[in-house]
Amino acid sequence: MKTIKLNINDKDYSVEIDGSMKLVELLRDRLNLMGTKIGCGEGECGACTVIMDGETVASCLVLAFQADGSKIVTIEGVGGDTGDHPIQKAFIEKGAVQCGFCTPGMILSAKVLLDKISDPTEEEIREAISGNICRCTGYEKIVAAIQLAAHKINKGEDRYE
Amino acid sequence: MNRGEVGTSRTRADALAKVTGRAIYPEDIIMENMAHGATLRSNMPHANIKVDVTDAEAMEGVIKVLTAKDVTGINNHGVLLKDHEVLCESRVRRVGDPIAFVVAETEDIAKAALEKIKVDYEELEAVFSPVEAMKDDAPRVHEETSNIVFHYKSRTGDTESAFKNCAVIAENEYKTSMVDHAFLQPEAGVSYMEEDGTVVVKVATQYAHFDRFEVAEALGVPEEKIKIINVEIGGAFGGREDISLQIHLALATYLTGRTVKCVYSREESFYGHSKRHPFIMKYKTGADKEGKLQAMEVEIIGDTGAYASWAINVLRKGGVHSTGPYEIPNVRVDSIAVYTNNPYAGAMRGFGATQPPIGYEQQMDILAEKLEMDPVEFRLKNTFKIDSITSNGQLLVESIPLDRCIEAVVECMDFKDKNFKKSPSKINRQKGRGLGAMFYGTGYGNGFPDISQAEAELTKDGKVVIYAGAAEVGQGSKTVMRQIAGEVLGLESKDIKLVSEDTSKMLDSGTAAASRQTYNTGNAVKKACEKLRDNIIKKATELLKANSDTGVILKDENAMIRTFPDIKVSFKEIAQNLEKEDLKTYAEFTAHATEMHEETGQGAPYWPYTFGACGVELEVDVETGRIYLQDAVMAQDVGRAINPNLIEGQMDGGFAMAYSYTIYEDLGLKDGHIKNNKFSKYLMPTALDTINIKKIIIEDPESTAPFGAKGIGEPVMVAVSPAILNAIYDATGVRMTEIPVTPEKLLKAINEK
Repeated sequence: MKTIKLNINDKDYSVEIDGSMKLVELLRDRLNLMGTKIGCGEGECGACTVIMDGETVASCLVLAFQADGSKIVTIEGVGGDTGDHPIQKAFIEKGAVQCGFCTPGMILSAKVLLDKISDPTEEEIREAISGNICRCTGYEKIVAAIQLAAHKINKGEDRYE
Repeated sequence: MNRGEVGTSRTRADALAKVTGRAIYPEDIIMENMAHGATLRSNMPHANIKVDVTDAEAMEGVIKVLTAKDVTGINNHGVLLKDHEVLCESRVRRVGDPIAFVVAETEDIAKAALEKIKVDYEELEAVFSPVEAMKDDAPRVHEETSNIVFHYKSRTGDTESAFKNCAVIAENEYKTSMVDHAFLQPEAGVSYMEEDGTVVVKVATQYAHFDRFEVAEALGVPEEKIKIINVEIGGAFGGREDISLQIHLALATYLTGRTVKCVYSREESFYGHSKRHPFIMKYKTGADKEGKLQAMEVEIIGDTGAYASWAINVLRKGGVHSTGPYEIPNVRVDSIAVYTNNPYAGAMRGFGATQPPIGYEQQMDILAEKLEMDPVEFRLKNTFKIDSITSNGQLLVESIPLDRCIEAVVECMDFKDKNFKKSPSKINRQKGRGLGAMFYGTGYGNGFPDISQAEAELTKDGKVVIYAGAAEVGQGSKTVMRQIAGEVLGLESKDIKLVSEDTSKMLDSGTAAASRQTYNTGNAVKKACEKLRDNIIKKATELLKANSDTGVILKDENAMIRTFPDIKVSFKEIAQNLEKEDLKTYAEFTAHATEMHEETGQGAPYWPYTFGACGVELEVDVETGRIYLQDAVMAQDVGRAINPNLIEGQMDGGFAMAYSYTIYEDLGLKDGHIKNNKFSKYLMPTALDTINIKKIIIEDPESTAPFGAKGIGEPVMVAVSPAILNAIYDATGVRMTEIPVTPEKLLKAINEK
């Protein structure tokens, strides 16, 4: 057993974990953050994507102790219960959600992209979400939603801190 | 009266929960004192088994190990034939058959206990080829019955003499592959017991009411003692029609009294549900010199693996759709479903109508080329139109806009102009364009009672609640049902409450499959709402002292005089004055179809039919065999668009799934084992592999449909594969008759040309 300290969604945690625990297990099973999904367990589908120190990671491939001292953002830390982050609003507006299982991971991948590049090209958007599999939408409306979110953030129409 | 609900892209009712991560899928459910379940599965494709669970049950933390002898009711289930065993008693018929279900205090203990179960396998000869399985001396998959599950026949005219008079004939064999739905959320569920002994299973399923029936039968209890609650469903595509873990969970709770959770890994999920039937399709098609189709012979063999699931309906739908959306006077079709020891096949998006166009649409291009005729013109000479008669003898009476679909695609993509070929993006690439056309018959078909029920209620506080057991698999039924109700009752869809998840709270609306929910359940919802509207208007007429009900309209929870809106009465006041029996209305809708003649296939198997066309432009790298999509256009008949954005979402998703089916997906089947049962091996397109497609919604309202709307969840996938295959031919001159068209296969074919 080992105690790690980390910040998740702007809240500090100190948790006791065993060495083999994965970050996704810590988030889901210990901290009840169920917005992070498990689709494949081998880092291929991106449903378990979270943001760790500003970069997307597949939380099913990261061991919990590797997150010691890090800052994690999960879907629960984006936009709150009202979903008022511009990416979330754009996903709703554009119809980028179907079954919804890939959605949290997609939104987090999009967030990291837009945090780095405010006005990405379509190719950059597609690259940024290429680690997230969606079986429902064919990606087109997801790409459109991210474009819309970027546009709104840049125009200052929809600021979010 | 148009309230602006129908035809408007309302945002999804479930979108906010899904973008905030608050949507609860079955694996997200945490309850107190949960035990965990794990399934022991066969590692042999065909064997007699003896199971000893003594050591596993003796492990600390193991609560119970369920085997066949623990099944308190009938140890069988299945959507049509009850050929699955809940837990295999003495024989396994495929790799992945469930043998035992461990219930333990933790998931780790449950998994460890699986290792302690002893299974003695006495290996039996297995059969993996459906052609071999059809032979008299083949090993029988189910000892008491033939491997031939079903044989559909259609006979019209005289193909033999018709071929003699044909100017051109094309004869080819096409093969499609067994693929997985790969919905993103693996199977999971939680079962628990309520105080009165009712067993509740929270799960993601396409048809909660049928699950309740099958669970009750397996437990040997009345259906009222079982409750299925459908939480969020992470995709389905047909793969959640058969029972997976519902009975195991319910039985575990029933026998131990414990709350039990079970979650499949992706690897197990590949073994946990059905697959798409692979078809071997022999086509012989002939046309006269004017380009009129004269005769078609089709023989389809579909591998249903170890269990029938929907094989009968899939091969029937495959047979009916095998001649394409074309008038052909002489037809002979045989479509056969066969057991093997492969993974079992069942429903998957398109349900037997997805495979045939890979044959018939390539046949169309081949014949057109032989006739030196434009393939578009050739198709248009033969397409179904109003008053056409299908090869089943069915008269097509309305909403047959196939020509419009084809013409819409051609308007966006010129198939005659070959100049585009001159400018490939890279030196070793060749460009091509291809067309596909399709039709799809909605519903269970063949006279089966295809019933949806719904209720509409006006609550005492003036709110409207709709009760309809339509599963929200991601297609948008929770949104569409509200829009239909809103249109009838003069409400905004967001103000309507929908109850659609708990079998104890709403009636059976049939399965979320066969593209039937908008059409069938939509009709039931509309009718129930119309009855409620009539009750409301009648009472309002009385309360408003109006001289006639004709001038009373409903708007925003009020009834008012249409030409003097200040004279109004609220839904709340109306509700308080209505008799109890007038507050809740019931309606049902049964889709029309007749049973076909067993020997000739004559009859009206489905209604309505939905049409579509797709054009694809792609590049083939002739040095690697890789395919690069350049452009695509899809024109989809929808009858009438209730929610255009949701329809576009289906078109995008259908295109991507069909593209994946055509060039990527491969289970890696080897002696009944799925070698590619993980996402690192089971390839599917990412955002870098797909393109934005042009989407054209074709409206031609169907009079029997709610506001004219037909179902499109499956049709959107059907025309895509042949468009890609015809484009590959246009680019390379190579006719690919077997999917998936992997780079290796395509390169080999190009080199052998």
